[in-house]
Amino acid sequence: MINILKYLIITLTLGIGGLLLSCDKTVTEPIKEAYIPTKLDENAGNWKPFILTSSSEVAVAAPKASSDASYLKELDSLKNKILPVLTPTNKDAIAYWGAGAVYRWNEIARELAARYNVPPASNAEGKYPVPDASNPLADPRFPFANPPYTARALAYLSVAQYDALVSTWNYKFKYNRKAPSKNDATISAFLPVSDLPSYPSEDAVVAAASYTILVAMFPGEVPYLNAKLAEAKNARVWAGINVPSDISAGDALGKAVGAKVMAKAKVDGMSAANNQTLVDGQIEAAKGRGIKDVWVSQEAPVRPPTLPNYGAVTTWNFDKKMLESIRPKMPYVVGSAEWQKEYEELEKINKSQTREQARIANYWADGAGSYTPPGHWSREAANLCHDYKFSEVATARAMALVSTALMDAGIACWDTKYYYYTPRPQQFGLKTSVGLPNFPSYTSGHSTFSAAAATVLGSIFPSKATEMNYKAKEASDSRVYGLIHFRKDCELGLVHGTKIGEFAIARGKADGSNP
Amino acid sequence: MFTTMFKLYPRKMKSLVKYAFICLACLTSSVYAQMPHDVIYMPKRTACIAASYINSSWKEYWENSLMRENLNIGTHTTQSVMPMVAVGISDKLNVIVGVPYVSTKASAGNLMGQKGIQDLSGWLKYQLVKNDKGISLHGVIGGSIPVGNYVPDFLPMSIGLQTKTATVRLIANYTHKSGVYLTAHESYILRSKIKVDRDAYQADSRVYNTNEVSVPNANDVAARLGYIKHGGRIQAEFFAEHFTCVGGDNIRRNDMPFPTNNMTSSSVGFYGKYQPQNIGFNVRVAKVVDGLNVGQSMSFSVGLLYQLNYFKKEEKK
Repeated sequence: MINILKYLIITLTLGIGGLLLSCDKTVTEPIKEAYIPTKLDENAGNWKPFILTSSSEVAVAAPKASSDASYLKELDSLKNKILPVLTPTNKDAIAYWGAGAVYRWNEIARELAARYNVPPASNAEGKYPVPDASNPLADPRFPFANPPYTARALAYLSVAQYDALVSTWNYKFKYNRKAPSKNDATISAFLPVSDLPSYPSEDAVVAAASYTILVAMFPGEVPYLNAKLAEAKNARVWAGINVPSDISAGDALGKAVGAKVMAKAKVDGMSAANNQTLVDGQIEAAKGRGIKDVWVSQEAPVRPPTLPNYGAVTTWNFDKKMLESIRPKMPYVVGSAEWQKEYEELEKINKSQTREQARIANYWADGAGSYTPPGHWSREAANLCHDYKFSEVATARAMALVSTALMDAGIACWDTKYYYYTPRPQQFGLKTSVGLPNFPSYTSGHSTFSAAAATVLGSIFPSKATEMNYKAKEASDSRVYGLIHFRKDCELGLVHGTKIGEFAIARGKADGSNP
Repeated sequence: MFTTMFKLYPRKMKSLVKYAFICLACLTSSVYAQMPHDVIYMPKRTACIAASYINSSWKEYWENSLMRENLNIGTHTTQSVMPMVAVGISDKLNVIVGVPYVSTKASAGNLMGQKGIQDLSGWLKYQLVKNDKGISLHGVIGGSIPVGNYVPDFLPMSIGLQTKTATVRLIANYTHKSGVYLTAHESYILRSKIKVDRDAYQADSRVYNTNEVSVPNANDVAARLGYIKHGGRIQAEFFAEHFTCVGGDNIRRNDMPFPTNNMTSSSVGFYGKYQPQNIGFNVRVAKVVDGLNVGQSMSFSVGLLYQLNYFKKEEKK
């Protein structure tokens, strides 16, 4: 016994000493470094844009020749005035943006989504005030970046980046201005320099196009986005990769394309997505289809359902008729033998959820305060593009295909949810370990989003297809383990999502990138 | 936050330990209270075991600095059972070890209650100085490590934060010969990083792309005014405690708490003990009167104490 005590004292002392020595609070995050793309994608100027009619729809004037006095002055200024006086902060910015413009701007969008992904609080009258776009920082802040909202923001962001970069590639290879360090060998850039022509700057294009979308989607973040935009553009000059005339041409092109894409967004039906006057009709229609027990908000006070008319928003990769024809079939009816079996599965988890089930539920929860499931898959896609050293335009293409599939998945899933208006498991006495979303159960949004994204990623990165499908299945299962979906919600959501992803793949196959 | 978090706090752990670690001394029939923030010691080669039940609940909480209720939580209750052992290594050096079983529940809404074994904590307390005028100084070091593989970021339902902690504390005491005493302490609590199931989360208004979470360090101060008599068989005190994190962020508007939060609380309470024989009991009541990112909890606990003389016997052999 005395020995045990001695052991305890020694252990305690050593343990505390160890903790004192290792009390570093820094968390380790993956570092994303600059790279030379494996392909320049010289022909990307011929790829088919999403919204622009062609890659020359927005005109970009020819740059000054490399022998022109004004260009030589820019090179001289870069070499003798800018590069010699860089501060450590400048160098941090160079390294940060070196990871890639599309990569970073998608990351910024996910961060904004996370910051704004909190449902409004109820007020003293027991009502939930609707966020107001004209007063975005008042409580509740605008927007409530729930999964459908975030899917849409990311889709328009990626489409704007892609269309702007297809245009950029057109002009880059049309004008063929070399990078500063290739025009003047005495200029040494701080990042690897490929053979990509430098005019207009692809980083400035992406920054300006992204900025234009994000200030519209997150109007309370103008100061934050202004700072990001300025830094993104400056960082390429500080890196010695662009001269100011590359940047200003890119900025103008990016803003013009961004504005065209936002004009499309304004008329896609999102402004009517929260039309609560439709709900009574939706419930009646669902009952007419044979649904006996309908969904009821489990929040106190009762919260109106999330975006009941989001299913009417314009899809990207298929039309309204197709949306209806691929809508999942009529689900279980409460009380049926099939439903009873699924309920019993949940009841068992409710009683004795395993730690592994909790882990899976938590990993994929992506609930309030997170960048949502569309953000999760956007991150997955961006990391794959980075790992595979995709060019900016190829990255933008992959992101656009994935994120339009995600938005289509959101629209089609929301259409299904409000078409059948089925109840959540919590209406039958079950708890949840992840938090309960405030909209009908069938089908599972996580399952639909995940299958759609995984299908597209499996097509772009065939060696990753098995892994992506495994992740989608795990994300789908996570909603059963977290107790907020019946098994059938998830299974048919996966089937639905896979079909939706295939439409994005079809678009990708026809866009001229794989001649 | 909320009581759950309170419970997790090393300070709270100390409190838990405190309630239950009221122990008997040796066969001399002197009775001692023994906890990591008092100045009472088990004599050499004596030990005691104790078990406490703690119930803590709140209906309102501070979301950042906004005091509010949450109809989707109702009343949040944390219950714990804490077995403990305290041993006198010498008359001036004591060791205390305990590990609680914790469960949480919410009276409204649909958040699943959590339960399980929480963190093992241990303390070494040493009497540094004592003079004949009743003044003494004491040093305490303590540590805790998670035992159960519970989920730390399903707050406010999680039973703990999964941090390893290390505490250093200085206690000063003045005891008048009448039995009236005044005790004060200050501590610094190091808390390790933790790992969560997700690989991205938001804190300080940014997204961290990692499963590592930095939990802020903390410190606590307390003052106690009480009366102790008959070698510690009877004890009663009023106390005020203040716990604060060193940094940390706040709960976002209408969002749930997170382990990175700066959880701050001030509480007041009463503690009493009666131990006529080997067996005794204690009670404690405390209420949080002010805070940030925590529940306004009301807690009470009862402890059963039992003296052991195991080491004396061993020595005789």
